[in-house]
Amino acid sequence: MKNTIRQVFHSPKFVGGFIIFVAILLTMIIYPLFNPGNPLQQVSVGTFARPGTYISLYDATKAESNTLRLPDAEDKRVAASLSDEDRVAMVEYFTAMGIDISELDTSDTEALLQMWDDNYDPSVRPKGMTSAKVNYYKRLNNALQDLKGGDTIIIAEEGEDGALAESKTITTTDYVRTGAVANVKTLPLGTDNFGRDVLKELVSATGTSIMIGMIAGVVATLIGLTFGLLAGYLGGFVDDFIMFITNIFTVIPGFVLLILITYSIGQEQRGAAVVATVIGLTGWTWTARSVRSQVISLRNRDHVNLSKLSGHSLLRIILTDILPYIASYVVMAFILQVSSGILAEAQLSMLGLGPQTTKVPTLGLMMNWAMLYSAHTNGSWWAYFPVILVITLISFSLNLMNTGLDQVFNPTLRD
Amino acid sequence: MKKLIALALAVIMVLGLSVTAFAADGDVVLPREETLYFAGQQWGAVNSWNPIGTNQNNSMAIAAGGGQRTIMFETLYMWNILDGKLYGLLANDDYAWNDDMTQLTFTIKDAAKWNDGSDVTAADVIRTFDIGVEIANGTGSTYGPYIESIEGEGKSVTINAKLNDDGQPVNPLKILDFLELVIIAKADWIDQVYEANGGDATAILNDDGLNDDGELEVPYTGPYTRYFDDDQKVVFIRDDNYWGQDESMWGKLPAPKYIAHAMYADNNAGDNALREGEVDVSQQFTANVQDMWEKDGLPISTYYMEAPYGICVGLPTAWYNMNIPVIAENPALRKAIAMAVDYDSINANALTGQSPTFADVPRSLMNPTDAEQAMYDHDAVADLQWVGNDIDGANALLDEAGLVDTDGDGIREYNGEKISLTAVCPNGWTDWMAAMVEVANAGEKIGIEITTPYPEADTFNTVFTDPDQTEYAIFMWSPDASTPANPWSRVNQFMGMDYVGVQNNWSGNWGQYVNEEADALLKKIPTTTDEAELKDLYTQLTEIYLTEVPSFTLMYRPAVFFTVNESVWTNYPYEGSTYTMADGTEVLVPPTDCTDGFGIAALYNLELVG
Repeated sequence: MKNTIRQVFHSPKFVGGFIIFVAILLTMIIYPLFNPGNPLQQVSVGTFARPGTYISLYDATKAESNTLRLPDAEDKRVAASLSDEDRVAMVEYFTAMGIDISELDTSDTEALLQMWDDNYDPSVRPKGMTSAKVNYYKRLNNALQDLKGGDTIIIAEEGEDGALAESKTITTTDYVRTGAVANVKTLPLGTDNFGRDVLKELVSATGTSIMIGMIAGVVATLIGLTFGLLAGYLGGFVDDFIMFITNIFTVIPGFVLLILITYSIGQEQRGAAVVATVIGLTGWTWTARSVRSQVISLRNRDHVNLSKLSGHSLLRIILTDILPYIASYVVMAFILQVSSGILAEAQLSMLGLGPQTTKVPTLGLMMNWAMLYSAHTNGSWWAYFPVILVITLISFSLNLMNTGLDQVFNPTLRD
Repeated sequence: MKKLIALALAVIMVLGLSVTAFAADGDVVLPREETLYFAGQQWGAVNSWNPIGTNQNNSMAIAAGGGQRTIMFETLYMWNILDGKLYGLLANDDYAWNDDMTQLTFTIKDAAKWNDGSDVTAADVIRTFDIGVEIANGTGSTYGPYIESIEGEGKSVTINAKLNDDGQPVNPLKILDFLELVIIAKADWIDQVYEANGGDATAILNDDGLNDDGELEVPYTGPYTRYFDDDQKVVFIRDDNYWGQDESMWGKLPAPKYIAHAMYADNNAGDNALREGEVDVSQQFTANVQDMWEKDGLPISTYYMEAPYGICVGLPTAWYNMNIPVIAENPALRKAIAMAVDYDSINANALTGQSPTFADVPRSLMNPTDAEQAMYDHDAVADLQWVGNDIDGANALLDEAGLVDTDGDGIREYNGEKISLTAVCPNGWTDWMAAMVEVANAGEKIGIEITTPYPEADTFNTVFTDPDQTEYAIFMWSPDASTPANPWSRVNQFMGMDYVGVQNNWSGNWGQYVNEEADALLKKIPTTTDEAELKDLYTQLTEIYLTEVPSFTLMYRPAVFFTVNESVWTNYPYEGSTYTMADGTEVLVPPTDCTDGFGIAALYNLELVG
């Protein structure tokens, strides 16, 4: 046993997969310690907040400020409100309004803004201009108003009588150190369509999905193993009957069966554990077939015959004389079953047939909601890409471990 | 040799497949510059073209959204959700009541003609109503209880209201609905169908309006007619002999020669087509619609430049099923859940900000338009209104009502059983699904177990229209948005007893709520003309509604969504845009997808870009 484990851990492929998998498991355990709380809590109002650090504007105005004189601050400020495309669009507007722009230098921000102020009229709709364009100019005009303001902003607080009292004046050179602000929240992966912290949800969902994979794997392996052992060892009618059933399940595409069963269970009953069991129930066939063929090659070995002659019971022969010889194979099959269970949950959830629960997140459900809210078309990559990455990593690590084990246990592949 | 045969077979198979693939595709090619493409109205293949039938699944030609859709079959009047007025279509702008509102008279336009050139006459209106009552189609069952008879000669028509025991009209408001929501079918054709089907009601309802060769048989009055339809798309072509080019109507033809609607698999597919400019007008909920122009700079716009982007006259509502004892017996439970729901999250997350908040428009029985908001006394019910996310208030209410958690599992019990409810809406209706999640979240915070199944739409429809169902505890559906009979008709849907126990109930009160007092108040409204009295009645009803909470509105939402891509066509309705009528008056064009009610005027305003 010790020797086998040592052998296994000498396989670079197995070790690589193992490290990735353990890293994922550790993150699942450790991350919630640093960031506790309900992973489904809605932290942001509004969908798909971008990843980044959010600083409380309220607290920032209260925090102590320093004066920094940075040479490029003004340029950055202008660029944030007025891009190069905006400048081109402004020229287009002047042209559409029939204004002489021969003297205009578009890189001269002040002149451009002056000209815009003199000529822009929100109530006029130039002939042939689309609503989209008209609205664009209105938005641009609003953005430009910010630029036009002076160098100071006055913060006023509302007193009990409703009167405003000036409490602070902010100038363009005032800066606040992030640490000085009472409330700063980093959302490394932003929020999803419900306004939940994606990273926190992802960590929790990974746990659920691995749990689903494990349950599916155990169920599938147990069924496959039992059927395979019985069919292989007993042979005859039992073998024919079990193989008949196995073949029926093999020819019906497993995923179609999975869809039909989960659909007919109805959404109320579809918890994570139920879906996992159903995935297991539809995925056992190839385990059964391959275990059977292994057992057939074992059953006429001398030590098995010896056991038979000694009058050992069927159960004892299978458990002590056959199972240990195919144990490594069963472990490998189990790993693959876990991996395909996780994938099956993700696929089902994408179709809206996954575990129906608002209590725990799963990787598939995260993808499903991201898709329903068009994260893939509106550029909110953080809502689905990390999920895909995690699914890929889990299934990659499991498959890598499997290949490593294969190289150790399969004599034909042994170096 | 065997290999050769196998190869030959494979080649034949591939060729065969590609031939069928090509044959199935692209048999209708429409010039882009003459076609207006839609999304979000038609789902699945058209069933029938029969204007007096049922289950037509023909949303472009026979359906109502923000008013009746009139591109092919026309109504007598067009409803304008912006100014709450009726504008003459087949009829002149001269409808008038007699003094006790028992008779409504109007005349049909001299110019109004069927596509075969014959005049539209009073006989057509009369026959459309009579056949409706006889075969109990939508027109008959909806207006039969309110209209005694329609009579008339030539071009003049009189509608006689049904009277109640006191000799008063049952509901004159519903007669105004008849004017704008009932498409008129030709009397001769109705007779022909009647005869062909031997007077059998079911056969008439299911007649597809086509002849044996699959060609259109049914006469129409509208500017467009069927050009092509299958399970991939439906296309309409302009009828250049349309009567409406007469000066008494539009004075011209609508701009697009073709109107086309491809069947998209889901909202995402439609949205992508809109982005690519393959769709001009989209009647779909698009999450974060503003990203299309703000982030991606696409030539896409909505009616309003800022949120909520559209005119929110719909009130998608969560209905409590009164067949379930724990709900029926505990008004406190009903109110507590409604108070605990975080409506701001629904607005910001489910609807991505495309709705006025309940702080802007406090909850009542009214839609957010100024006209309806003025119809109840805001101060009188202010104490009863809630803005949501009031967990403490909801918990206190439940504790007070004795609904407490006795076994310590975090879930409250009633009569020894834990309170476990479902919150249901059809699968794929994204914003509704997300809203149901918010309801479940609210339940979790106040110790009520709420699960959220999403059945397929056809299953959902069968269950929630069944008056005896106990499957869904809380379920979502929208009452009427905007018609001349509103807000009465919506309030009647919320609390009226007419619909209690009705089988296959598409009409209202889906939760089977019974309240004699509310029903008595409702019966008074249609014949009340004094405005102060009306306001008083509506205020009392609002009080009952907010105290008893038979249902709670989750959001304000447009009756029809309206997002347009201006790559090909422009001059769609935008805030404040108008249509110039024949007499020179400017009328606001509602953003009802260029097809519904007065919104169809938009088709006459459209221009090509550049």
